[in-house]
Amino acid sequence: MKNIKPLWRGLLLLFIGALIGYVIGVALDFLVMKAVNFSAPVGGLFGLLGGVSSFFFGLIGYRWITRGLVFQLIGTIVGALFVTGIRFILGMDVFGDFFFTEPAWVFGGFVGGLSFLVGVGAVDDWFKWAMGEETSEHHEEPSGWERYFSVSLDHKVIGIQYTVTSLLLISIGGTFALIFRTELAHSGLQFLTTTLHLFDQNGLQIYNTLMSLHGMIMIISILIGIAGVINYVVPLLLGAQDMAFPRLNAFSYWIAVPAAVLLLSSLFLGGFDTGWTGYPPLSARAPVGMQMFFLGVIFAGWSSILGGLNVLATVLRMRAKGMTAFRMPIFVWAAIATSLISATATQLIGLAFQLVMFERLLGMGFFDPVKGGDPILFQHLFWFYSHPAVYVFVLPGLGVISELIPVFVRKPLYGYRWVAMSSLGIALVGFLVWAHHMFASGMNEYLRVPFMYSTLLVAVPTGVKFFSWVATMWKGKIETPTPMLFVVGGIVVFLLGGLSGPPNATVATDLHLTDTYFIVGHFHDTIFGGFVFPFFAAIYYWFPKATGRRMNETLGKIHFWMMTPSFLTLTLLMMRVGLIGMRRRIADYDPALHIDGYHLVMTICAFLIAASVFIFLINFFRSIKHGEEATGNIWNSRSPEWQVPSPMPAHNYDHPFEVVGEPYDYGLAGSQYVKFVDSE
Amino acid sequence: MRHFVIIGVLVILVSVLTYNGIQASHLMPVEASAQSIPVDWMWNADMAAIAFLFALIMVPLIYSLIVFRRRKGDTSDGEHIEGNAALEITWTVIPLITVVVFAYLGAYTLGETRVIDPNAAAIRVHAMQWAWHFEYPQGFTSDQLYLPVNKQVDLQMDSSDVIHSFWVPEFRIKQDVVPGRITEYRITPTLIGSYKVRCAELCGTAHSYMEAPVVVVSQSDYDTWIAQQVKAAAALLNATGPDAGKALVNKFGCLACHTVDGTPKIGPTWFGLYGSKVELSDGTTITANDAYIKQSILQPASQVVKGFSPMSFNAQALGVTDQQISNIIDYIKTLK
Amino acid sequence: MASTSMTHSQDKASALSQGLVIFIYLAILTGIEFFIALTMDSAPLLVLVAIVKAGLVAYYYMHIYRLTAVEAETDHHSYAYKLVSNRIGLWLFLLSDSFVFGGLLTTRIYLLGPTRPALNQFLGLTVTAVLLVSSFFMNRAETSMEHGDRKSFLLNATLTMLLGVAFLLGVVAVEWPNAIREGVTPASGTAGAVFFMMTGMHAFHVFTGVLFLLVVLRNARRGLYSAEKHWAVEAATVYWHFVDLVWIFFYPALYLIGKLIG
Repeated sequence: MKNIKPLWRGLLLLFIGALIGYVIGVALDFLVMKAVNFSAPVGGLFGLLGGVSSFFFGLIGYRWITRGLVFQLIGTIVGALFVTGIRFILGMDVFGDFFFTEPAWVFGGFVGGLSFLVGVGAVDDWFKWAMGEETSEHHEEPSGWERYFSVSLDHKVIGIQYTVTSLLLISIGGTFALIFRTELAHSGLQFLTTTLHLFDQNGLQIYNTLMSLHGMIMIISILIGIAGVINYVVPLLLGAQDMAFPRLNAFSYWIAVPAAVLLLSSLFLGGFDTGWTGYPPLSARAPVGMQMFFLGVIFAGWSSILGGLNVLATVLRMRAKGMTAFRMPIFVWAAIATSLISATATQLIGLAFQLVMFERLLGMGFFDPVKGGDPILFQHLFWFYSHPAVYVFVLPGLGVISELIPVFVRKPLYGYRWVAMSSLGIALVGFLVWAHHMFASGMNEYLRVPFMYSTLLVAVPTGVKFFSWVATMWKGKIETPTPMLFVVGGIVVFLLGGLSGPPNATVATDLHLTDTYFIVGHFHDTIFGGFVFPFFAAIYYWFPKATGRRMNETLGKIHFWMMTPSFLTLTLLMMRVGLIGMRRRIADYDPALHIDGYHLVMTICAFLIAASVFIFLINFFRSIKHGEEATGNIWNSRSPEWQVPSPMPAHNYDHPFEVVGEPYDYGLAGSQYVKFVDSE
Repeated sequence: MRHFVIIGVLVILVSVLTYNGIQASHLMPVEASAQSIPVDWMWNADMAAIAFLFALIMVPLIYSLIVFRRRKGDTSDGEHIEGNAALEITWTVIPLITVVVFAYLGAYTLGETRVIDPNAAAIRVHAMQWAWHFEYPQGFTSDQLYLPVNKQVDLQMDSSDVIHSFWVPEFRIKQDVVPGRITEYRITPTLIGSYKVRCAELCGTAHSYMEAPVVVVSQSDYDTWIAQQVKAAAALLNATGPDAGKALVNKFGCLACHTVDGTPKIGPTWFGLYGSKVELSDGTTITANDAYIKQSILQPASQVVKGFSPMSFNAQALGVTDQQISNIIDYIKTLK
Repeated sequence: MASTSMTHSQDKASALSQGLVIFIYLAILTGIEFFIALTMDSAPLLVLVAIVKAGLVAYYYMHIYRLTAVEAETDHHSYAYKLVSNRIGLWLFLLSDSFVFGGLLTTRIYLLGPTRPALNQFLGLTVTAVLLVSSFFMNRAETSMEHGDRKSFLLNATLTMLLGVAFLLGVVAVEWPNAIREGVTPASGTAGAVFFMMTGMHAFHVFTGVLFLLVVLRNARRGLYSAEKHWAVEAATVYWHFVDLVWIFFYPALYLIGKLIG
């Protein structure tokens, strides 16, 4: 009960802070523009930052994340004022369409993001090292729930921080989707009309901004979600006390927070209307919100890069004795594959966005045909990351599926080595397929056929996974508690995503399908099957490990049975309307297509999915305190983390273990995977 | 063994049912071009493979969930089967061969859609935010694309601002229109009727509304239409007054963003505009006279009406002359 | 393993002379490169020379082979064990960073193809020489530290840093204004955009390298490093050489390969 108080205090301050921020913003806007504008962009932005930082102030006081957010707010203003001052001295325009000028916002946003890291304390230890001071191995951390708002070096805390942040962002991105899904329920514009005027955007522009932000916020929540599962689970599976670089690990998490703030701030600075892909020349013309979006992605990109690097080093260096390559739990292989991509290719999306950023700031003509640039170059650089990125999203999910099936089927994972190698296979082939997003782009025609071959090739390792899963279930003793339900749901949904892939790969058909709702349906199937379902499975499965309590089984089953049929209906209808003529990313569609009815059903399905996720969230937060106690090996797993009581002790295993057998030898009498060194 | 027989029968049954179900639900729009035939052929081949693979995974999956479910009171583990190298190689090599075959079919059908008729007439397509213009070799520009049936046309497409994409769902093929280069779109319409070209690449605020009529007609109707257009264009060249203005408004596709009936769209309405007081976004008020409207056409961002957003609409790219602007203003004067 | 133990048994004098020999090779190759550009204008040859130079730097200056030197140490908390982990971490970071530079090279090839920006080739050679010499001193500094010679380390690392600053000034204060005078500005076209972006991104890395060196110098003066424990020195060294290695590819890509436009 005593934890409720700070939460109410926080919520109260959220409203007060948001109001004060908003009033300050509108007043500033009035001073410069000499006209009262209640939907002034700065009003919204200051309201957002003021509200969020006040909320955390109420919750934990002026420290850690609150300090970070306040630093970010001040850093943004100081950075922007710095550039504004220079512009004043040079006699250039001091104020722009969105209060500050574009260069001022970019520099301010950048400084603000870095200030957050300083304020929150994510760089304290490194600063001490640079000053020649020693830092202790186990640094002081608050205990209890407050530690989740502080810079903790414990991979389990960071894993939970990542996971909860991901759930928060999924809720935000999902809300955006509900808004524009509602607008699409019927043809014509219902509430996002052209006369609507909000933060300097009309209804169509708001639609485009929300749709674009839905894309990128979801992508970042996925990156954060997989980082959460990997962070929590991988060191436990390896028998390590922590990640190889705990400070870098904390830094990777905390840099994602200002990234999210920057992304959301674009909503208030004129938004942007390019979709998450940000293709120039459109992105070179969009409002300042575009630059905030770029900055947000670059910050989030560094989170992903450094996180991936850390995972690779951890797997290489922190394994328990006897854990040879092919005795690692299969999820570790998925983590390796995904980290290989995120640690390297992510740089290219950062670079692509940076080039547009500088094109806007300095007139550099990389993608401007008037200056000899080429918009298609951007697409190459962008997709070189953004295609492999989808493998970053799904490989850990597929790893969760492979990891959980043997436990609930009570049989060894069929063809362990093949499954492990298929993850690497998907990752490596994934580097060679990017141009299949550009079959209709006008790029060199001769590139189309080779990229079709490489793209179809992905089907081979993916097929190996499906066959192995089914073969694992064959003749097993299958149990279906909630985690297993989500595993099976994930397989079915990912199968639909996978099977709707080949028509996009065979070029002739793709010329009809590309940039339509068919792609939207295909993509959501792959991501829900490859990430969302396994992510929920992982949470239901490892929740007792983290808390010592399990989530409510009935609510879990309601969640599953509500979400799965609605989701399948939603995506299959998306594909159907896409084939008929529904394009991607449109706010309104031609009533002559006769797809209004489908859209209405899709909207209802979307709300059902949202309701099911809401049930999940209630279950999640309620179970932390009130869930049924579960301290033992409740899934009867062979995995090392389940051999010790839950919740996991602070420094993981009290006694190190040694790997003495195969990980998935279910059904082999007398076999053992790990042996604790002092326990015998 | 019994299991495998049941599975085998079910897989065949489910594959056939799935494939027929897909066929029966008529997923694709009508085939209105020669190019849509290879596309749909490839689509059907894909669907056959998909139906089979769907059955191949789903049948044993659901079968296992039912038949191999844990019975009450059974606490034993499953059989200890680790894998089978021969089987793994089989389900790696067979898909590999299938992939190569499908990639070949994909390349073949792509080639079919790219068959070039050297006698194809070239039509220039100009895309801009948010309208399509079609420039015919006979020397006129239209906001509708008229095409003769069963003749290949070669659309030479360019964009004056951002990337657009030319897509007529009934024609199947899609091609981006990229600023700074001309992309080619060859199509042979085979079915007389009215369709729409829909921009398929997000191009900004009013992307949803960037559509234009595509009309496929018989050769004789086409010739008649061309003759009419040539005549109208010649008449328009020296014509003045509101009727010429109205024709120009249609030609330039102004009504993609403006209305003539009083409802606001992307831009302000023209109904009752001339002579009215217009409040601008900087707070000033201005009377909508000739100078104001001309300025708004040539430099739309210089005076934004309150409640609307500045647009990067590029009138210069259309090559509007002063005479044409005055014709359009004459037309706007009539809207009361 | 064999090469590692050999390196460890190397005495200081032979290690220093090895560094000198490698420097001479690199200098000669740089000269050859310039000669090829002026006379033959052969892109494949220039790329080949750059690869050889990069290989020499990666092996003899950056000691890439140390990555395989996995000690028998099993205590995860020991300095020796962490040192190996740190090395892996650093190299993974460099691998990641090289994708940025790879992307920029791709951009240059895609946009400019067989042409090159109108730049002063002798100026390019000069700044390249400055960076190369700085790498030579950096190697001397690290070798000194490995043998516990703090004084020599301080001297050589200071020289490195000063040369780094000279390089930065050469690029930002001489080369950039010079290019702008020649009409190559960021906004003038793709050649200018590519030139300023590539040199700007590289200069930013040199700048961070200088900061890193400053920190290491300060802590070395306070006696925080020894022959056995000097990971920060090793990291600064490897990073410095990496920045040099990037320039080994950027320099010919901007100044040597291709024909002048117009």
